[in-house]
Amino acid sequence: MPSSPAKLKVIWLQGITCNGNTHSFLNDPALGTLLETIEFIHHPLLPCQKTLKDLVKKVPKSDILIFEGSYNAAFERAGVEMRTLLPALAHKAKHIISMGSCASFGGIFKENDPEHISGIVFDKENARGPLKSMQEKVITLSGCPAHPKWLSFVIDMISAGREILVDEFRRPKELYAYLVHNGCLRNEYFEWKVDSEHFGTKEGCLFYAQGCQGPFTHGSCNKILWNDVSSKTRSGTPCVGCTEPAFPKRDLFTTKTYMSIPSEMPLGIPKRSYLALAGAAKSFHIKRLEERLIDDHA
Amino acid sequence: MITHELIERIEGEAVLDFQTDKSGRVQEAAIRFLHFRGMEAILEGRNALDSLVIAPRVCGICGHSHLIAAVRMLESLYENAGYPVTLTPKAHALREITLSCELIQNHIKWLYLVMLHESGKLLGEEPPVALKALYVTSQVNQLCALFSGQWPHSSYALPGGVTCDPTHIEVMQALKILSEVERFIKDEVLGCGTEIFESHMKNDTLGTLKGDFGTLLHNFERLELLESGKSHGRFLVLGNERIAMASDVRSNAQPALVSEDASQTFENGGKTYAKNALYNGEFYEGGPLARALVQERAGISDLYRIHGDSAVTRLCARVEEMVLLCAQVRQLLTSLDLSQRSFIPPASIETISGTGIGIVEAPRGSLIHKARIEKGKIMEYSIITPTQWNLGNGPSGNPGTAQKAMIGVESIAKASLIFRTFDVCSVCTTH
Repeated sequence: MPSSPAKLKVIWLQGITCNGNTHSFLNDPALGTLLETIEFIHHPLLPCQKTLKDLVKKVPKSDILIFEGSYNAAFERAGVEMRTLLPALAHKAKHIISMGSCASFGGIFKENDPEHISGIVFDKENARGPLKSMQEKVITLSGCPAHPKWLSFVIDMISAGREILVDEFRRPKELYAYLVHNGCLRNEYFEWKVDSEHFGTKEGCLFYAQGCQGPFTHGSCNKILWNDVSSKTRSGTPCVGCTEPAFPKRDLFTTKTYMSIPSEMPLGIPKRSYLALAGAAKSFHIKRLEERLIDDHA
Repeated sequence: MITHELIERIEGEAVLDFQTDKSGRVQEAAIRFLHFRGMEAILEGRNALDSLVIAPRVCGICGHSHLIAAVRMLESLYENAGYPVTLTPKAHALREITLSCELIQNHIKWLYLVMLHESGKLLGEEPPVALKALYVTSQVNQLCALFSGQWPHSSYALPGGVTCDPTHIEVMQALKILSEVERFIKDEVLGCGTEIFESHMKNDTLGTLKGDFGTLLHNFERLELLESGKSHGRFLVLGNERIAMASDVRSNAQPALVSEDASQTFENGGKTYAKNALYNGEFYEGGPLARALVQERAGISDLYRIHGDSAVTRLCARVEEMVLLCAQVRQLLTSLDLSQRSFIPPASIETISGTGIGIVEAPRGSLIHKARIEKGKIMEYSIITPTQWNLGNGPSGNPGTAQKAMIGVESIAKASLIFRTFDVCSVCTTH
């Protein structure tokens, strides 16, 4: 019998975090299969070889270092500052995964101390984080949280020795070339410019009034569904743009408009083209799209 | 002798400073939390509705509770400002369903990842990853996401209702998942039907229980900890019922009697970021045990009469709550009237000024969000988390709830396990 290949050694380290990415990761229904290919030297919740105390005492080598949470040089784990601990672990890691928007860009927790808090490579959209010199071995999985299948995809690719194509923020293109808008069940309402009058209905597009950022946010939320069944927009919630460096913006449930059209355009679409198309689409008043989808409501 | 113990495998980390006698028995235990994120400051200055996106990020394991607390705060604000918000029974039920899912998954993770694991380790029998438990929690979260869009970090509840507009497809899927979760609890957690479990509680025969919860109780018995962990015997529920219990006397609880005590924090020369939450100036226990006693639920009340607020009662309360919540979710799912509206638009938030308070029974106890809003903008935001009640750090002579439970335990390792029976969450405690 051929011997099974050695498991990848993984360290999961947390910076300033809510643990959301840890719990998102635990949602992977194929976790058992994943754990056949990796072993955790350290993980904050799962059984692992080393406690945090062991980890900081003698920094081990790893195949993958997963970092969750935002970075502050003075933030401590087991009494050791991140300015010491993170580079030490990073130097000894073959690959690094920036898990979630806090680790990737600074995220929500950056708001409390913008001067000192950042992501590990990027600070918002600028590459000036502590690991910027090693960014070649960093894969960014932004999202608040990141989807467990995005992580297992990256681990599988590393395990298979395949190259991962990345965008300007080192996000895998196969996950982030899509927009959250792609695959949204409300696409037809977007095409014909039928807006949702208010929250809580299946009908209408949330881009025009409810603040949906799906048309200009990179992410495969409507391709690789959340918890395998849904997404924000499928449950009627506007996309809040959580995979982008600018997250969190302000006034998240309102669309800013200019001359009564959304002031931020769908990605790459010139305003003139949009206006021409929107004007035409709106003039048709398509009855089917103005009615309830299923006639079960008063 | 003083020993500093770093507590891991909780949500974040905590430090316990133990004062022990010659035999190693715990005389005092200080509880310290060393991380702080400034969530309230992050919320201030923003549009009030943004709290529905920011607040869930207080905590990865109970963020949905923070969402519901924030939306209740906003609805109370509307009401105080003279614009009462109406919720249809459907919207109300959907929020209850998704919130209950969060509690169920939390309790299963606590049982398998924390209690079975740590008690086994103490006995030299560290169990492998509890994959079956993690699979079932992923299913519970899937049930939640059928309505909330995702777990963790959904923002599907808004003043006036919920954003989703489910069909029977989601409801039928949810019922199917629920059946699997119920089967897991019966076959794996309890090793018996829920009625038999109830009769074991009533007859004080839990020792015969099989299943993984039986293993946990057996571990505690071998460690001679079943009767340890007694605390003040003061209980508080502010989220649904508003009842306080002290010395077995029940009274109506007033949110106005809640206060925060920062005397032990760094800014006042102390050693922790966590503020203590007090009711009427005293430490109270919140969470599953408090909820069961306040509702006078038979099994747990029977155990409490015999064993007081010891480890066996506290452990059992968290498991019994899973059973109860599954039954409640089933009832809510089967009685949903999908023809009702999901959302009734309230007045624009920009027209609203005043104060609001939202209270939720979160996995670990009563969670409070308070805010002052001016023309739809957050001027002040204040969050009191359940763990501030249970894991309060009192001065010598006036221990908090978990502190008192650890005093007198024969070793630091065993006291640390008692600490974990409270379901520790560091990220919430300091937020």
